[in-house]
Amino acid sequence: MEIITDKVFANFDQSLKEFTSSGPLSRKEKATKLASQIDILSLTSNGMAYLYKQSAMLDKAGIFEETVWSEPDKLVPFLVKGTLKAGHPTSSFEILSELRILRYAQGEDVHDAISADEAQNFLEEAIVHNLEFALKEATEETRIKMTERELKKVFNLFSFIMSEVDLVGIYEKLVVEVQLICAQRPILTRKARELITLVKRRFDTSGNTENDQNMNVFIDALFQPSDGARVHSDKDAYRSFIEGSDESVLQSEAESMGRYMNATGLVSGYHAILLRKLVNEFPDLVPVCLDLNDRGIAEWEKFHKLVSNLILETVSFDNCQCIYGLARMLGRNLFSRTPVRSALGNLRKIRVNPQVEKRILKSLVNPDQDVTALQYLVGGTIKVLGQPLGVGQGNNPTCQSARGMSMWSQHSPAKLIDMIITVATQNNLIMRFENYDLVSNQLGKGLLDRMDYNLDVVSVVLVPHLDKIYNEMMKLATGRWDDPHRWVNLAMYGQWIQVGFASCYDYLSNSILDFRGFTRIFYASFHPSYNGDQKMAFPNPLGIFITNNNGVMLGFHAISLLRVDKSPTGEIRAYFLNPNNEGRQDWGQGIRPSVNGQGEKPGESSLPFYQFSARIYAFHYSSLDVKSWLDGVPEEEITKVEEIAKESWGKSYFWNQQIKLW
Amino acid sequence: MANCFALMGWSLPVIESMQKTGKPFVVVSFPDFEPYATENNIPFLPYPLDEWSDTSNSLDLFEKLKAFNADVAVPLYEETVEWAGALNSIYRGDARVLNRAFLFRNKAMMKRKALIGGLKVGLFEEVFNKEGVKAFMKRLNQANLQLDGEADSWVHIKPFASAGTVGHRLLRSMSDIDEKCEDSDFPCLAESHLSGREFSCEAFINKGKIRFLNITEYVKLGYSNFIPEGHYLESKRDLIHKQVQKMVDIFGIEYGMVHPEWFLTENDELNFGETACRIPGGHILELCSKAYEFDALAAFVLCHDPNITEEELDGIFPAKDFKPKNYHGNVMIYPRKRQFSKLEIPEDLNNEPYFVEHTLIAPYEGQKLSGDRDGFGNHFGTINFRGEDPDRMTELLKHYEEVDFYV
Repeated sequence: MEIITDKVFANFDQSLKEFTSSGPLSRKEKATKLASQIDILSLTSNGMAYLYKQSAMLDKAGIFEETVWSEPDKLVPFLVKGTLKAGHPTSSFEILSELRILRYAQGEDVHDAISADEAQNFLEEAIVHNLEFALKEATEETRIKMTERELKKVFNLFSFIMSEVDLVGIYEKLVVEVQLICAQRPILTRKARELITLVKRRFDTSGNTENDQNMNVFIDALFQPSDGARVHSDKDAYRSFIEGSDESVLQSEAESMGRYMNATGLVSGYHAILLRKLVNEFPDLVPVCLDLNDRGIAEWEKFHKLVSNLILETVSFDNCQCIYGLARMLGRNLFSRTPVRSALGNLRKIRVNPQVEKRILKSLVNPDQDVTALQYLVGGTIKVLGQPLGVGQGNNPTCQSARGMSMWSQHSPAKLIDMIITVATQNNLIMRFENYDLVSNQLGKGLLDRMDYNLDVVSVVLVPHLDKIYNEMMKLATGRWDDPHRWVNLAMYGQWIQVGFASCYDYLSNSILDFRGFTRIFYASFHPSYNGDQKMAFPNPLGIFITNNNGVMLGFHAISLLRVDKSPTGEIRAYFLNPNNEGRQDWGQGIRPSVNGQGEKPGESSLPFYQFSARIYAFHYSSLDVKSWLDGVPEEEITKVEEIAKESWGKSYFWNQQIKLW
Repeated sequence: MANCFALMGWSLPVIESMQKTGKPFVVVSFPDFEPYATENNIPFLPYPLDEWSDTSNSLDLFEKLKAFNADVAVPLYEETVEWAGALNSIYRGDARVLNRAFLFRNKAMMKRKALIGGLKVGLFEEVFNKEGVKAFMKRLNQANLQLDGEADSWVHIKPFASAGTVGHRLLRSMSDIDEKCEDSDFPCLAESHLSGREFSCEAFINKGKIRFLNITEYVKLGYSNFIPEGHYLESKRDLIHKQVQKMVDIFGIEYGMVHPEWFLTENDELNFGETACRIPGGHILELCSKAYEFDALAAFVLCHDPNITEEELDGIFPAKDFKPKNYHGNVMIYPRKRQFSKLEIPEDLNNEPYFVEHTLIAPYEGQKLSGDRDGFGNHFGTINFRGEDPDRMTELLKHYEEVDFYV
């Protein structure tokens, strides 16, 4: 199969001729036929090299006209994977697109819109996001989704790219990627673990550069978080090592593991073995092992019996990541709350509904055989309670549900546990919207078409129900005079949401109405310099415009504004939860949300306040309190925001300068 | 030469062919296409072709087409055959042109006309309900001298006015009638099963004479065909030519293209199946263009022109003694499973010397086939082949028609 006949090249040339000589009307059809030749050529290395030679010429001949690939400077490296997995002809076009970008990166051809550096950077990012292809280690999910032939094409593409580009940049990007992911302390650590494992196996990290050192912290956290684990890497060997160790050895093991856990947010299976041993025989070492702060230690001392039971019932080799959640939960003093203790007690005793059990097991990759779905669910609950900002939506269009879980975990943990219990036992959920009781099982489909199970256990349980209820609320509130979220947010998230609601989009005139007034309210409500230095008490569900790296409008997204504060450098920044967990974002116009280094708590994203302000279209506020602050917002500040907005997503709308009575 | 061709229906390939000829034309189709037409500078007249009323009729359309100076109407789809017929009746001052269009749209009338003219057709009858079909099958059984316990004679039912295989049902027994027929099928045409080898041809007619005859070899009806015809049909070319000209004469067809289906028996008898006068399906004219190296779509349009000169006609069609260098075939791929998630292209297709290209497209996630398919439904893509040996071509088309591309 490696050698392809001249006939294939001749066919390609023939289709190419037909394509270039076709009129504009049949171009698409001719392009599809040409794609079938690209498909075949991309199966072999000499075919790929041939395509590489032709790629820039094909680009100029207009093969990407009227397709998503038409403007190479607007392509998003993060999206490459999805297109490659979509099958022919989409994947064939994507392959050709990468090849032409490689030519631009190598300076073999020139494109007006993309420089060689930009092209190089695009390819490096594409490789970082497609390591499974670059390293020929497709994940289970990918193997199920793609045919062998498609996989072969894509493997072939990446080995071609890797043989042409310099890999140093990629290693650096990988280290940064791992750091960024872990800095956000996601509940679901699968992606971080996969990346770290891949780097460990495929790159030489033994050097002494800063990158090597940084990377090794993460590698050690997973594979050798202590001296004992370094020597006894086998699971059973480590267990017998622990059994035979004295207190001083256990102490140093506990310190080491606690430190790695706190530094990375990652927990290894060894940690689970050690912690169970300590709970049983050396309880005084538990706070060390969990690297607890003072509040956490006090909490442990007060509730050590309950917490010990919880650990012994829940923590296992595979179900180890919840140890970090537990440490954080102790630090949040959640056990001191009576409702939380009662609800947790209830959760430990439930019988999980078989449908829900199926969903839970489906979300696990390599579950311990003797650990039940309930144990995983309790572990998952601990994680959500310990890390409210680590909730993510995965590859699902369910930012609303993720935002809700995060909010309840922060402000109503017992209510969240109750909700988990209801759904886990009944596989059903009731919420109220105005005068209707919405029963999720009686509702039609939500936004979710087919759930991506790459999600944490609690999300897997709750999201299908929350999603349906949210969607039904939206349906009931649609057709009123304003954005349905004005009513839905209150019902969906609870009493923490302010009744006042501002949206710059006017439903009746289909335009952006009084954006200046809108921005003034936002500043007067949340900017500490103009609202009398008031802090936000509760998260605020916001709607934002998502833009690409050129500021072009892509769509809408739900996030939560958590707080507005001075950053370490004295800049006023908005700190928010972005449930899509995507750290490396570029929203264009120099607006790049950061996830660490600007005073963010783990899981927060942040932006300078004015930049943030230029991307929002709806928020809640206190319509009574805001009145006294409105006049104090400087006009030039509003103008600055307005200009950024108009230059980006604003181009997609008509702007109405009329003043609105807010 | 015509002042302006009115193309009845929207077809990008035809539009592009016409642009290449440089001849004036206007596309008449649904208003939905207007923005695209405007954007691409395509002369366009929006018209509700699915409506017949005081404001939507051929006289009105005739008036509107005056602005374009149109004087020939060309039907591109089965559904626009009457529209074109009505307009051409006016253009040519001959009311019977419209009646002839009706002939193509009523299969019972078509058969009757063929029978009167002396073509061999099966037994047929208009039926109005299941009982009618049963009575028809019973009479057919009697005529075939059926004995007790012998199988029933096969009966086909088809709607009077649908393209190709849409709504066509084969009934092999009395119980089939109960199981397969729906009340909504009626009224329709019932006919006896014609035996013989099925094929179609495309005869381009001008001034009542065949100017070019293409014969399409069906490997499997609705799935695969190739052009030119294989050795056996080629040896019957004269016979076929004569029979098609006879049909043209009987029907009184002067301009355009007919696309009849025939059944050739072992005794060299040609049974008439049915005929259409619009562009055939199955990418037949595309294959025909490639095999005979001319623009069959442009030729289709131009031979509707009563005023075209002999020289112009000769310029359009391949030379009389033209011999195609290769056989061009295609197979249309339909998913064979109800539920599928991937497009799987077999390895052996890559190195198949006859393989040219394909237009297959991967399914979207969780795609299913809807329960009811009309005719053969829409295929998911076509694979094109080219080669010198018609037998190898037949073998290939048969093989790939059986392959599961969608799994």
